[in-house]
Amino acid sequence: MVIRAILALVVTAMLTGCGSQIEQKMLVMPLGADPSYLNPILYTDQPSAEVAGFIFSGLFRVNERLELEPDLCQSYTVHDAGKRYVFHLRQDVRWHDGEPFTAEDVAFTFERIMDPTTNTVRRSGYIINGKPITWHVVDRYTIEARLPESLGPFLFRAAIGILPKHKLADQAINTAAFNRQPIGTGPFKFHDWKSGQFVRLIRSDLYYDGPPQLPGILFKVIPDAQTAMLALKRQDVHMNGVLPKDYHRYETLDYLQMARWYGLNYTYLGLNLKKAPFSDIRFRQALAHAVDQQKIVDTVLQGFGRPAYYPSSPVSWAYPPDDQPLYAYDPARSHAYLQAMGYRRNAAGRYEKNGKPVSLVLATNQGNKYREKTAALIQQYLAEIGLDVRIQLMEWSALLKLTKDTSEATGFDMIVLGWNIGVDPDASSIWHSREYPQGFNFVGYSNPSVDAGLDAARQYTHRADRQPVYHRLFTQIAQDVPYLFLYHTETVMGVNRRVQGLSMPGPAGLMVRPESVYLTP
Amino acid sequence: MMGSISKRLLTMIPMILGITAVSFVLMQLAPGDPLAMMVDPSIHESDLAQVRENLGLNQPVWIQYWRWLLAVLQGDFGYSFVTGQPVLTVILDRLPATLLLSGSTMVLIVGITFPLGIWAGYKANTAVDHWITVLTFIGMSIPAFWLALVLLLMLSVQLEWFPLSGFQNYAVFEPTVWQQCASIVHHMVLPLVTSVLGGLAGLTRYHRSGVVGILNRMYITAARSRGVGPSRLLFKHVAKNAALPIITLLGLMIPGLIGGSFVIEYIFAWPGMGQLGVSSVFARDYPVLMAILVFSSLLIMLGTLVSDIAYQWADPRVGRTSV
Repeated sequence: MVIRAILALVVTAMLTGCGSQIEQKMLVMPLGADPSYLNPILYTDQPSAEVAGFIFSGLFRVNERLELEPDLCQSYTVHDAGKRYVFHLRQDVRWHDGEPFTAEDVAFTFERIMDPTTNTVRRSGYIINGKPITWHVVDRYTIEARLPESLGPFLFRAAIGILPKHKLADQAINTAAFNRQPIGTGPFKFHDWKSGQFVRLIRSDLYYDGPPQLPGILFKVIPDAQTAMLALKRQDVHMNGVLPKDYHRYETLDYLQMARWYGLNYTYLGLNLKKAPFSDIRFRQALAHAVDQQKIVDTVLQGFGRPAYYPSSPVSWAYPPDDQPLYAYDPARSHAYLQAMGYRRNAAGRYEKNGKPVSLVLATNQGNKYREKTAALIQQYLAEIGLDVRIQLMEWSALLKLTKDTSEATGFDMIVLGWNIGVDPDASSIWHSREYPQGFNFVGYSNPSVDAGLDAARQYTHRADRQPVYHRLFTQIAQDVPYLFLYHTETVMGVNRRVQGLSMPGPAGLMVRPESVYLTP
Repeated sequence: MMGSISKRLLTMIPMILGITAVSFVLMQLAPGDPLAMMVDPSIHESDLAQVRENLGLNQPVWIQYWRWLLAVLQGDFGYSFVTGQPVLTVILDRLPATLLLSGSTMVLIVGITFPLGIWAGYKANTAVDHWITVLTFIGMSIPAFWLALVLLLMLSVQLEWFPLSGFQNYAVFEPTVWQQCASIVHHMVLPLVTSVLGGLAGLTRYHRSGVVGILNRMYITAARSRGVGPSRLLFKHVAKNAALPIITLLGLMIPGLIGGSFVIEYIFAWPGMGQLGVSSVFARDYPVLMAILVFSSLLIMLGTLVSDIAYQWADPRVGRTSV
């Protein structure tokens, strides 16, 4: 009896499972995890960013060329050498609940970011030399920002998603129900969200640029990468990242096309500059000449990437024009440097000093196959020149704790890690000497001319002024070898051919203008 | 009997306190905290310090524990560090999916292994017995992640009989109750098959050895000599006695009901407690972890208590000696 009932249920499900008209025209996207907060000032995770990007809009948005273009702001003027900005807002924008969007909402959003009781990690982005940027409503559609000092990345920071004051003014923002049923000004409005299952958005008929083409977007939570790949194959989702190992199997499917681009990222081998022998630049140069980056790209990434030479990305405008390795693969030079430092090879062919063979530890996080393989290859390259390396795979937070360990005895030697860098090239948090030991300059890099350059480039407001400074800075950093820059990975996205109206592939994604995306039948 | 029950309920209080105190400290001893995971060059250390202060993470562990305990005694489990939702909401969101899957798994496993074990025990050391043993052990030895992927490839991608992942058809906006039930059952088939196949061997062996033991008892010999037929013997005399240990087993299985299997939930995107537990560990979501811990320890204690009581009720010989 029970079995018959279950069978009946299953058969019904198979028959009704084909879905409705809406489903046929909805864009379906996978999420690697449940989002945390659908609130632009609170989230820090990728899934939330992906979903919230469709719901909220900011003063600006990033276009395909990674430039800012006006979104909620129609135009702006700069005064007092970059210390005062006046933003003229669009007057035809309405929140998804019909309320008009005004300058009060913008002021409210930045006030909430500056409020210390808000659990946001964005606050320091709006503080310059200890003084906050302040926002002043001029009239209903004009708002002014006053900066204590001029700040190059300011407009990018000002582009954060704007929150509705009328919904949140009397709410405790950290725990507000709003964070799970948001209201924005973007092209899609929130419909519903089931934890661990899905988030559904439907098109906003109030969108200032006219309603989007798609009736809605369904985000399915699919944590397992293999299941997500099968979902792409089964056309359950319309796009999904494709790993190098799967590329050739999926490329041949006639209903898929592959979009490829370099992201704003690089993977590197960080060297502990505060510790011997890494404190000697000759040792670091010896390491740099010993590792063949192209080989790592070919084997670890199966060609889906390119060697990295600078702490930047080839798609960034700050990337130095001289796209060449400063330390090309040349083991003979490694030997020369090591011998100049007084190392001698022992009977086993290993370098030693005062009878003590060099022994190094290379740490990386367990579970990241690319980094594990990269570590193994580096170990092999260094063994080839006579340096003994032991690999230590660690759980993520244990590895992070190790990066904070400044002791000579227990601190790290070398670490394989990666950075996702922002669209704005300001790299002070990674390279400025004040970011050690607290901060992300955990290798302890310190170069006064780089410090000065970073501070200067942060203040310039025009790209033309900043660009040459970053070219010089990144070249200088690469010459100092605080890291061995290893590779930039290429992002490959398998996209169902039914999806049309996508933007040019790039770090800004394929849906820079989500309102123009549509599905063919 | 009532006295012994209340005594056991009372001893649970210090036990729960001890468990929570030890786990609270252990959790904080693990490297990292909810904020240390954020490695993003656009985030500054001072931001992390401020949020740490807001969450009370800069306080000494014992003060944090004391605050947590006081709040819990007033029924307040706090808010998740990851989503800002009340902890009870976070857990109640995930509980139904896990209860459904693990409850169905338990019912199926008991329903399949009991007759299988009796059959194997009755036919002990024959070809039938050996085949049952071999097949159930194959089920146990196949890793769940592998079986899950094979099932997905064959039954979902190739034959398209079953959906790939998830809890129900998310594309239908306002399903009727009937549609929803049908969709959930349809989505549950593959995860259910995966978890049932892995759990058959243990209980089959357990029932088999129980039956073998019973068949050697004097009263079975007596029944046989009285001329009781094989089917009556098996179902009336053997099965009834072999069923007794199931009560204990069920009691012990109750806590497992809310835990959920991480591997199965992860692969099939089943929105349950297994995924929540593991992701909370990685995110160091202390409030959620502590709540899961309190509930599962309570269930373990209550589960054993209930099974002891039920056993006493079913088999009066037990009550006379101990508890």
